[in-house]
Amino acid sequence: MRLSARQRSLVGLLQPYLLIAPTLVLVLIFNVAPAFRTVNDSLYKPARGLNAAGRPPEFVGLQNFRDIFDDTHYMGGRFLRTLRNTVIFAAATVGIGVPLGLMTALLLNRGQPLLGLWRFAVFYPSLLPLIGAASIWSFVFSDSIGLANALLRTVGHPGLNWLGDRNLVLFSVVIVNIWKQAGYFMIFFLAGLQNISRDIYEASSLDGAGPMQQFVYLTMPLLRRTLLFVVVIAFTFAFQTVEQLQALGEGGPADSANLLLYLVFQNISERRNWGYVNAMTIVLIGLVLVFTLSNFLLFERDEPT
Amino acid sequence: MKDANLLLRRFGAALKAALAIAFLIPLFFTVLVSVRPEAEPVTNGNIFFGSEVTLDNYQRALDIAPWSLHYLNSIVFVAGTLLVQLLTVTAAAYAFARMKFFGRNILLLIILLQLMIPSGVLLVQNFRTIQLLGLFDTRVALMIPYWGSAFGVLLLRQTFREVPLELEEAARIDGANLYQVIRHVYITNAIPAYLAFALVSVSSHWNEFLWPFIITRSEEIRPLTVGLNKLIKTTDQGAFYGQLMAGTLIVIMPLVILFLVFQRQFVESFARSGIR
Repeated sequence: MRLSARQRSLVGLLQPYLLIAPTLVLVLIFNVAPAFRTVNDSLYKPARGLNAAGRPPEFVGLQNFRDIFDDTHYMGGRFLRTLRNTVIFAAATVGIGVPLGLMTALLLNRGQPLLGLWRFAVFYPSLLPLIGAASIWSFVFSDSIGLANALLRTVGHPGLNWLGDRNLVLFSVVIVNIWKQAGYFMIFFLAGLQNISRDIYEASSLDGAGPMQQFVYLTMPLLRRTLLFVVVIAFTFAFQTVEQLQALGEGGPADSANLLLYLVFQNISERRNWGYVNAMTIVLIGLVLVFTLSNFLLFERDEPT
Repeated sequence: MKDANLLLRRFGAALKAALAIAFLIPLFFTVLVSVRPEAEPVTNGNIFFGSEVTLDNYQRALDIAPWSLHYLNSIVFVAGTLLVQLLTVTAAAYAFARMKFFGRNILLLIILLQLMIPSGVLLVQNFRTIQLLGLFDTRVALMIPYWGSAFGVLLLRQTFREVPLELEEAARIDGANLYQVIRHVYITNAIPAYLAFALVSVSSHWNEFLWPFIITRSEEIRPLTVGLNKLIKTTDQGAFYGQLMAGTLIVIMPLVILFLVFQRQFVESFARSGIR
């Protein structure tokens, strides 16, 4: 087929748009539009009563938000407890998991025999499906035959109700998440450590710096960027990792270990809660956005030109 | 000073061993429990082995769910997702890396919104979108939200920009069209980036549960994770942990073995999945 110069320049003009169209359209359909619809639907309540099915939803302004932040409301009680759990869950995962990842990276950094084995030991949980990891831990935590209680009994403790005690179950879920994520955090620290030149350490050794001094004055300042990055993605993930609850008590007794996205999932087919579910999603998006945006602003060095 | 260093190194080695054991113990006992007779507590007699080594648990786990079907479904899900992603991501990455057009920055920013508002968080609305599109309980519904990948576009755009422009110009002079330029100049020079993207994509979708669980109903198309969920729910009532651990191992073993073989590539790919 022969094209005139005019036709060819038109094709050339359209070409970039055709190339990006599939990605752009999919992002619009599955990320941008639903985000806007979430905002919209959070302002409505489904019609109630006998003939509710055909009737349009009722505009209620911010009433859904008032309800979910109201402790005495049936959904508000659940939401507030779950929101509190989500913040504790994220803070504990980051506060314990990130230092643990850093520590394992420091221990594994020096060239050594069996590196592959050590790395496998810490990293393999990150590759498991969350629900598979939870399944393993449902055995570890099981009441009568579980591993955790078997260990406690060897030291004379009668054992704990890991997934049934409402003061304990969130803590159990945090343990699973740290076990699952620490290896993932570790690899970012390993990559960061590899970027630090060996010469700096040699030079400081000659000047008489010991390993502790090197850690405080060299490694930590040079790893600051990586640390910040890992903290940010760790928070982002924490708000979205909820699948383990499916195998670990489904949010615990009276939502004592429920997490936000899982609460949304539990109510997805409850028609009367549609407005609440969308309002809760807005809160969740807000939490995630704080961290994804800071990730973008802090680390997107490669600006579009 | 020298003694202190030696002490520190010894302490480090001990800590490392303790950590490795702590991380491995759950997997280790999962394997042990899966070959013990059912309902024989680990505290009962020998902590390592039960009264006999048996494969009964595997037999019963195999009876509960059609695992080979679930395997096939998972493979179709991750492969179908990845293949389309490779096409969309390559096209968009090339346009953003090497073409000049009106609105380029703003369009890239819109695509990057996916990284800021991940589709997993938008579960409720995407569930409804799939219903409206008439895709509920189809294989396409599983894959379609992932067919556009902002992460992939960013990763490959960056890689494509590092390909010397002279290579493209030379190919153009030889008469190569756009498809040939992308195929022979860009893709050929970006294989490690493609490998990294593929590993991250495959492992994250292989492990996905919530989305496949709500968007499908038929066993004929449900992936492994949903099959494992069925086993978990069956086990809930009677605490048949032997059978559950056997089923869990059936699901996770291929991944663990794959990781043992391609450990270095996995670690390097995942390290790239965050740092841009």
